[in-house]
Amino acid sequence: MSTEAPHIPTSPGAPPLVTGNQTFASVTENICRITERKTPPVWYLALGAAMSLLLVLFGSIGYLFWEGTGIWGLNNPVGWGWAIINFVWWVGIGHAGTLISAILFLLRQRWRTSINRFAEAMTLFAISCALIFPGIHVGRIWVAYWMFPIPNQMQMWPNFRSPLLWDVFAVSTYFAASLLFWFTGLIPDLATFRDRATSKIKKYIFGFLALGWRGGNRQWRHYELAYLILAGISTPLVLSVHSVVSTDFAISIIPGWHTTIFPPYFVAGAIFSGFAMVVTLTIIARKLFHLEDFITVNHLERMNKIILLTGSMVGYAYGMEFFIAWYSGNIYEQAVFLNRAFGQYAWAYWIMISCNVIVPQLFWFRKLRTSIPVMFIASLLINVGMWFERFVIVVTSLAQDFLPANWDYYRPTIWDISTFVGSFGLFFTLFLLFIRFLPMISITEVKAVLPQADPHQGGSHE
Amino acid sequence: MNKQIMREAEGMLAEFAGPGNLLEAAREMRKAGYTHFDCHSPFPIHGMDAAMGLKRSPLGWIVGLAALFGTSAALGLQWWTGSIDYPLVISGKPLFSFQAYVPVTFALGVLLSAVAALVGMLALNGLPRLHHPVFHSERFGKFSDDAFFISVTADDPLFDAEKTREFLQHIGGKNVEVLRES
Amino acid sequence: MQYDQHTYRLTDTGNYGTVALIVGVVGLIGSAVGYITDPAQFFHSYLTAFFFWLSLGLGGLFFVMLHHLVGAKWSVVLRRLSENIMMTIPVMAMLFIPLLFGIKELFHWSHPELVATDHLLQSKEPYLNVTFFILRAVVYFVIWMLLAFLLNRYSLKQDQAHDNKLVRTLRVISAPGMILFALSITFAGFDWLMSLDAHWYSTIFGVYVFSGNLLGMLAFLTFSILSLQSKNVLTGVITPEHHHDLGKLLFAFTVFWAYMAFSQYFLIWYGNIPEETVWFLERWESSWKIISLLLVFGHFAVPFFVLFPAGAKRHRGVLMVISIWLLIMHWVDLHWLVMPSLHPHGIHFSWMDPVTMIGLGGVFVWLFRRRTAAKPLVPVNDPGLGDSIRFINH
Repeated sequence: MSTEAPHIPTSPGAPPLVTGNQTFASVTENICRITERKTPPVWYLALGAAMSLLLVLFGSIGYLFWEGTGIWGLNNPVGWGWAIINFVWWVGIGHAGTLISAILFLLRQRWRTSINRFAEAMTLFAISCALIFPGIHVGRIWVAYWMFPIPNQMQMWPNFRSPLLWDVFAVSTYFAASLLFWFTGLIPDLATFRDRATSKIKKYIFGFLALGWRGGNRQWRHYELAYLILAGISTPLVLSVHSVVSTDFAISIIPGWHTTIFPPYFVAGAIFSGFAMVVTLTIIARKLFHLEDFITVNHLERMNKIILLTGSMVGYAYGMEFFIAWYSGNIYEQAVFLNRAFGQYAWAYWIMISCNVIVPQLFWFRKLRTSIPVMFIASLLINVGMWFERFVIVVTSLAQDFLPANWDYYRPTIWDISTFVGSFGLFFTLFLLFIRFLPMISITEVKAVLPQADPHQGGSHE
Repeated sequence: MNKQIMREAEGMLAEFAGPGNLLEAAREMRKAGYTHFDCHSPFPIHGMDAAMGLKRSPLGWIVGLAALFGTSAALGLQWWTGSIDYPLVISGKPLFSFQAYVPVTFALGVLLSAVAALVGMLALNGLPRLHHPVFHSERFGKFSDDAFFISVTADDPLFDAEKTREFLQHIGGKNVEVLRES
Repeated sequence: MQYDQHTYRLTDTGNYGTVALIVGVVGLIGSAVGYITDPAQFFHSYLTAFFFWLSLGLGGLFFVMLHHLVGAKWSVVLRRLSENIMMTIPVMAMLFIPLLFGIKELFHWSHPELVATDHLLQSKEPYLNVTFFILRAVVYFVIWMLLAFLLNRYSLKQDQAHDNKLVRTLRVISAPGMILFALSITFAGFDWLMSLDAHWYSTIFGVYVFSGNLLGMLAFLTFSILSLQSKNVLTGVITPEHHHDLGKLLFAFTVFWAYMAFSQYFLIWYGNIPEETVWFLERWESSWKIISLLLVFGHFAVPFFVLFPAGAKRHRGVLMVISIWLLIMHWVDLHWLVMPSLHPHGIHFSWMDPVTMIGLGGVFVWLFRRRTAAKPLVPVNDPGLGDSIRFINH
């Protein structure tokens, strides 16, 4: 047996995660500057536009409360229309944020540090938008509290065997857990803001929010474990949320809805659309705030790879649904799928296929997945495609149900559209406030992945 | 300055050049027998727990208990409301349909764990605590930017205004200052 | 067993391989006796055992491709052993041939007289017919063998030369390989397991089969690493940090398997459509219920709670026991998928179950050992090797 040290090859150093020879101080400076400088006029313009849309949302909801769900395009067989489509779409978008903050953390993907704060904020705002729809579509909004197990005058309880109730629990837990996770990540950064604050008001607000954080290792050791635990429980949570959403459809016996692959298929689709949204927003934000050193093309490329992966999973699920519909020998299943592809909603189906299955295939080519214009357009198309996926699922299975005499064509009304468009107002208003007042990139975590943060300089732990 | 009105020293703070120096200094502090000291840095430093001789955080147990409580409470709630208080057969399912109770049970387990993770972490850290001797220092604010500090509080048995200062300087501390209310 | 830590090679491997081969051959001869006495039982037992051992190879193939695709560093030291598991596929392809003689015994869709009276089977005939069945099996094995050969070839080439381009080559093979793999394992699952009950269908079935396969492979990998290390092989190269990650993977895929199993069961239970529930009913109304419950607890709850604490994932003894346990559970899972088709009225164990397992297992272990002895135990020139050895889990 040889006693000399074995030969061990070494890797040619990986490209740096952030560029521009950043120091700890320059990281603080570059990220804090965004919120500390004078408010740029563009921000006011954008906020004005977003809040106008928000008014559209409030107006649409107000009219809905006054008049009832009859203002929507729902008809006899199609009792679920845009409200559930928008709900599923927004919740799905949220999933990328949790994937980045939790799953990529557990997988030790250190590149996530540049985008996780931003993506988690997107998650919170997307869930906020999503929560509107189940809230308002119940019709009698003043008894919406019946969704919760609160004793009421009828002495009845919610039906815990209903997936709609599981949604209430899953999505509100998802919101709460994401908020706690996000806040946990923010604490050290809030301390940075506190310590840099110049005005008294800011000192008080950030001093209060930072909870007296001192960055001592006696604190870090609990903090790091808390972060790990939150990541650990968010991982099954994010898988469960869209699985539960999928059961809204899959536990029924409606052809096209009742199929066992729905839970993982919905989760893959959610992550797919969420990453597309993160890419869209990231491209705009990095350009606007000159964050090219922090969010490099390398980051975007990695996200595009995840889009390619999840897009292929979605394609796989479409294929399985189609194959098993044929294989089952069930004529109703077969009819639904033929109808999807060639029936009255074929246009929606082919939008879905082109955007969700064909467009991501562009990312097989390095040139395309590193090209900003290409990925920007692709990410927009994917979000359109994923909206149409939910449209196809919800509408095609309902519009032609078991009784041909009931068949009808579903058309949205102006109020369907205004509520959906208005929800973007809420999303962007929250987003603009976030980037103006809070650190949109995690200062602490980016510092921790700088090469000089390693106390044993030179040794790599990856 | 009049010595009469000068407040009692609450601790001492020393600045170190970088994460590596801080780690080394933490080892020295521990070797010298200090117990009430802490190492402040803008981000967690890998290996610091071992250097300071800290055990693994007990947070996992707190969260585990919370998860257990959340899941059993959720299951209990669904069982009691559905089978005892108002039994109602819905879609031909048994009154106690454990299969259908999985999603809510899981969700509440996660919810309570998440709350316990944050609240437990804060409680273990004694936060929120807006007042602490280290905040007396003007320089300390830089810990959240790019500075690395070691603080020793006066309740450490080894704390001695002179000896501790010398020791901190000896192990590489710069800008050593006494923490006291101004 | 002798190990040269400079070259990462075994210099003296002992005679485990030969012993395994002898045991395997004896087992196969025993199985042949089974074929003569009770062909239907033989083919069902053989299918279970065959799929078990094949699934480890397929899991290996997936794990190697995943490693290349994500460019993981920590798992470089596990790659060669995974490749050795993967390289059992070609011989497994040959051991598939006996099953071709059992199509009639295994699949009732292959009986024209039954199809003639069964409307559903008639509608499935374009897919479920003997010619297409064999053709598909050939396609699956061609895909798997091709991928395995290519990955193996460039991996060994990397051992010879300091050529960082090979990292890229391996990735380029893995990317389309992943798609081919996903489709082939899905349809193989449909063909060999799901079509045992030709009326029944489930869209998630392919993913379910895959999740079990991968978990089985990870358990086998963990088991073989720990047994090598108990002989002082690869100590200091595969460290407790890697054990910890293997523990995490075992834990994660235990949950993943449960997620797939529960999704399938839950939606069918809730929908309560006779044509779907019949499959679960068969596994719930008779003594098969015991096996169903065993899966819930043994395949999910036990490994879940055992592997939950961080300490357990780093504990060699715990990992050793749980990986053996998971391999047993993987077999139970396959048994539960296959056997109710032959014995719908209740649990039925046959002496052929263990004998076919030992027969095919002997061959499998022999192949694995032989390759382990012939090649360096880690990819010696992989640029990530140093990082992988020094890797610290946090």
